[in-house]
Amino acid sequence: MDEEKSIFWNRRRQTACSIWAAVAYLAIGLLAGLLISPQWYQVDYHMVFAPPSFIHPFGTDYMGRDMFFRSLKGLSNSIMVGLASTAVSSVIALALGVAAAVKGGVVDRFVNWCVDLCMGIPHLILLLLISFMMGRGAKGVLAAVALTHWPELTRLVRAEVLQICSAQYVQASYRMGKSWLQVAWSHMVPQMLPVYLIGVVLLFPHAIMHEAAVTFLGFGFPAEVPAIGVVLSESMSYIATGKWWMAVFPGLLLLLAVLLLDVAGENLKRLVNPNSGNE
Amino acid sequence: MKIRTKGMLLGIFAALAIALAGCGAGTRKAGASGEAGASDSIVCYVGHGFWDGSLDPIKGGFPYGYGFVNNGLVQVNCKSEYEGSLARSWEVSEDSLVYTFQLREGVKFQDGSGFTAEDVAFTYKTVMENQGQNGEVDLSKVEKVEALGEYSVQFTLKEPFSPFLDCTAQLGIVPSKGYDSVSFDKMPIGTGPWKVVQYDAEQQLIVEANEEYFEGAPGIKRVTFVDMDNEAAFSNAKSGQLDVVMVQPSYAAESVEGMHLEEMETIDVRNISLPCRKPGIFTNAEGEEVEVGNAVTSDVVVRKALSIGIDREEVIKNAFHGVGKPAKGWANNLIWGEPMEYEDSKAEEAKELLEGNGWVDTDGDGIREKDGVKCAFEVYTPSDEQDRYLLAAAVAEHVKGLGISIEVKQTTWDEIVTKAYTQGVVWGFGQFSPMAIDNQFRSQHFTVQPYSNPSGYGNALVDGLIEKAISANNQESAIGAWKEAQEAYAQDYPYLYLVNIEHCYFVSDRLDISADTQIPHPHGHGIPIICNMKDWKLK
Repeated sequence: MDEEKSIFWNRRRQTACSIWAAVAYLAIGLLAGLLISPQWYQVDYHMVFAPPSFIHPFGTDYMGRDMFFRSLKGLSNSIMVGLASTAVSSVIALALGVAAAVKGGVVDRFVNWCVDLCMGIPHLILLLLISFMMGRGAKGVLAAVALTHWPELTRLVRAEVLQICSAQYVQASYRMGKSWLQVAWSHMVPQMLPVYLIGVVLLFPHAIMHEAAVTFLGFGFPAEVPAIGVVLSESMSYIATGKWWMAVFPGLLLLLAVLLLDVAGENLKRLVNPNSGNE
Repeated sequence: MKIRTKGMLLGIFAALAIALAGCGAGTRKAGASGEAGASDSIVCYVGHGFWDGSLDPIKGGFPYGYGFVNNGLVQVNCKSEYEGSLARSWEVSEDSLVYTFQLREGVKFQDGSGFTAEDVAFTYKTVMENQGQNGEVDLSKVEKVEALGEYSVQFTLKEPFSPFLDCTAQLGIVPSKGYDSVSFDKMPIGTGPWKVVQYDAEQQLIVEANEEYFEGAPGIKRVTFVDMDNEAAFSNAKSGQLDVVMVQPSYAAESVEGMHLEEMETIDVRNISLPCRKPGIFTNAEGEEVEVGNAVTSDVVVRKALSIGIDREEVIKNAFHGVGKPAKGWANNLIWGEPMEYEDSKAEEAKELLEGNGWVDTDGDGIREKDGVKCAFEVYTPSDEQDRYLLAAAVAEHVKGLGISIEVKQTTWDEIVTKAYTQGVVWGFGQFSPMAIDNQFRSQHFTVQPYSNPSGYGNALVDGLIEKAISANNQESAIGAWKEAQEAYAQDYPYLYLVNIEHCYFVSDRLDISADTQIPHPHGHGIPIICNMKDWKLK
């Protein structure tokens, strides 16, 4: 029985399921956010602090706004910030990581110095600094999250590429007169792509969490924008009076997004990593 | 990466757990510092104001117009009038430049030394020499102060300044011999009903009754003020650890076992400044060029339509659970307040007014236009004050019905100060000094002093009346001129007055806060309830 189950429910299927679940969750969140009209969570002073019910599954807030649609809209905002910043961060990481490993010398030292600099400052403080510098709001939080998630991935890419650098076919390629850019593009990038992609997937939940955190602390999206961070920080004023639904449901939405992505990333890693892929 | 993500998740769970634990706290008793329930001591939460800076009156400590640790020469009474505190009586010279105060005799400081005119002169001279340290009491109009004998003191002003009495109410007197600039930050010594026992910044302030107080010893012997979040304070009150807790109006519908809600009258009004100038560049007295004005609110018809069209009761019900009184001008519990009484919620009249002036909704989006300009503007509120956001949001929701669109934004005071030149801002004003009118309506302040005349209002008649009031040589003619000034600007509606707020507290059923001797609360985010703490009694 156990064996049968484990054959059916093997790691490949697990991974596939977790990835599909994460992708579906993100896609639904994103789409729903784009389709929701502000009309659906407009102010209604006759429905202030309604507990969760059939009409308002997540209840309503202090201005009678529907928390379900507001949270969903917030989640989609968070996902968009996550996507944008993951894209930016991963490109920066790829470029810097490959350049450092292949060029070596001054470039390598400079990249390492940048990585150390960024990782030396507590992440949240760095986020706040950048967001504050950029004038807060959507622009601030986007810049902050996009510009601070590359160091770890850069290290990963650099280490991977360094390993490939000493391979014979790479050396041969150089001897045949290819430039370092050509070598990097045709030999190194394809080699390290799996590791890189996993890194990117695992970066995504970080980006979402940090967006919510910065917004929660008042340095991100302004209060009039429905964002998970805004919704959560508002709910803090009312939790002492027992309005639990204002914090719990939006929190769960965010938690689920982060958890699903994390599980998908971890599974993918075990499958792709040569050391554990054949288990 | 894996470990960090897990750590973060754990963090969220922990935060949730703590937040939830807060709701269901039991009836644990307070810790070391003080205990609600003790027979002659109480524990209070009255907001964050104590912890902002020094307790030393010389540096602006307790500038509220009532005695606490220190007494001023005069104080404010329940009718917002000035009455003697350390001064028995005073007279103003014919040219209104010389103020002579006769002082109370036989008063002792808490360190045992006797109070004389020398202490008054010392206090005022020290503040004048260190005016930069005191942002609360402005003595720049004072030429000199002299002790005339032991119980008489004379002030000479540089120019006539009728609101001077308010300065003497705000500045507490310190002993000339015992004064120490360092130790008074935490342990000031005065003649007041309360002695500081311990002060830990942003944690707690413990005071004990001054048994020698000249108006009689306070009934309660020991009071602990604690500093915490509003929400944490409410949870503490629910678990029986506090005797007085300040709450936001949004909590007024809650109930706490063993406590009852007290709604206290204030002189604090909330309004929205409406920029009166047309969009353009303004060069101020200091030669700076500032972008000012708003195409919508510069039309007096829009400002008037807002003022008469909205239903203030409805806005207050939606924003503050009905706590607060509709206001159309300064509070009428001020001696110089002249609230403009006119009917509001006349939506039809407001709409006709707008249409008659060309504001018509032509594209059917529910918002009026005139010459291609949408009848829309922004209103800014400080991000650390949820109440002002709620008020602005309720107004925005309400004026949709008039075809006017208001977008409410939250940001920091730094940004609000500059935004105020072009957009609306929610302001709160509540002081006993009529200089509030000078501050908000005098044309010369625009863009020069931050927070002053944000609407960019300019009216030579009003400027003249303000000057007349300031230079008046007796209270009656000063008040007359202040009231005339209010009438003069009333038809221009430079501000949308909304509500005269009320301060809400949950008070333990065993405590009597002597509601009859409370003064109308000035702006102070909850502190003013302590104005008559010496009269409080435990049942």
